[in-house]
Amino acid sequence: MRIRHPGALWRGAQAAALAAAVCIGGFGTSGEARAEYADVVINNYSDAAGMRPVIFPHWFHRIRFRCKVCHADLGFQFKAGGNEINMVKIIDGQFCGACHNGDIAWSVENCNLCHSGKPGTPTQVHESTIQKLAIQPQAGGQQ
Amino acid sequence: MNRILRVPMAVLGLAAGTLLATGPTFAQDEKGKAVYDKVCVACHSAGIAGAPKLGDAKAWAPRIKAGIDTLYESAIKGKAPAMPAKGGATDVSDADIKAAVDYMVAAAEGGAGEPAAAAPAAPAAQAAPAAPTKPRPAALSFNRLLKPASKRNPPPPEDGIHDPDNDGTHALQAPLQVFEALPRSNAGNRVDWVKSLDNNLIAPRWDRTDPAAAPVVMDLNIVREVKGSMPDVVYPHKQHTAWLDCSNCHPQIFIPQKGANQISMAAILLGQKCGVCHGKVAFPVSECRICHSKKKNVMPVKNAQAQ
Repeated sequence: MRIRHPGALWRGAQAAALAAAVCIGGFGTSGEARAEYADVVINNYSDAAGMRPVIFPHWFHRIRFRCKVCHADLGFQFKAGGNEINMVKIIDGQFCGACHNGDIAWSVENCNLCHSGKPGTPTQVHESTIQKLAIQPQAGGQQ
Repeated sequence: MNRILRVPMAVLGLAAGTLLATGPTFAQDEKGKAVYDKVCVACHSAGIAGAPKLGDAKAWAPRIKAGIDTLYESAIKGKAPAMPAKGGATDVSDADIKAAVDYMVAAAEGGAGEPAAAAPAAPAAQAAPAAPTKPRPAALSFNRLLKPASKRNPPPPEDGIHDPDNDGTHALQAPLQVFEALPRSNAGNRVDWVKSLDNNLIAPRWDRTDPAAAPVVMDLNIVREVKGSMPDVVYPHKQHTAWLDCSNCHPQIFIPQKGANQISMAAILLGQKCGVCHGKVAFPVSECRICHSKKKNVMPVKNAQAQ
């Protein structure tokens, strides 16, 4: 590896640590949760508002829409919790609200279908490489 | 009037009959079902690798004919070609496995909890407390890198992040209801999404509202030579443009210019470059050879000496 600047060295060290973690720790189970790969928990505001966090199942949506529809046309960033979605925007027809309007998919009064996570579950992409390799924040002080 | 009354009466009679029949063996049936749901279900619900399906009387008939003891032995010791000893769950006691066999036999005979099936289970019931099942810590289980079949694709109420106390959770579709019809893979959702799309097993829309809109697929392979002994990477635009828009990757993640992108496995593991999707939603980095697929042109040793 050609090292160009100190940042690269640090990144190299991180990589080595990660590679070691993959070899030693392996893709071990992280607690009891064994939800679907790519299920996204979004808990930007839910806990504070007394709602269950949202769980977005990628698998369910990718059977019905290609990635492009949400990630290019609707402007969803490739980052869990990175879109600052709130109910005002959804009711206004942005983000989830582009389809969840009672027209293409069921509408916002079905709170419990999206807000279905265990309270206190942090924002995450379930089963992601990062989640498996890094130490997770404790769920609402529990565990 | 008479007819209207007769139905509830019949239901009552049936219910009472069932209660009488199942009363003494109810706990045993429950045990059998619990073991079945935990272990056997992985193969015996869908009939994987020739496993006789639960409730499939035709498939079970010759096996039941061979005798319950033979069945017990096959279940506990395993049977060629595909039945592993105790279905792979060697920490489950013999008595529990027998209970599961009884449960499946009863289901095949047309009614879980038939006394006929329960009778041979009686000694097993006595033996059960003597051999309690001890859950083994995850670190000691066989190959902890692989999830056992019983822990793959659980329905939302059992997946650990959905709240089972929420009524909406129970209304959600379970992944396996769909995945069973799709080609499987070894990682991620355990579904080969690219093949599913290629074979028209799924028809995800390209446009939010227009079901007829189709993507402009670009068939261009980019080969990236890699250092070390790993095969070179072949990046196929084709499979990517079937799902994504150019703007999803270019220019933010990848500069569309040869040699302009520094990509490393370190960056990918950290969720950058290919790792923006691979390791989060597209197949994960454990599947090395799907990307690293082009054998290097290594000069044969003989030629090297000749020169």
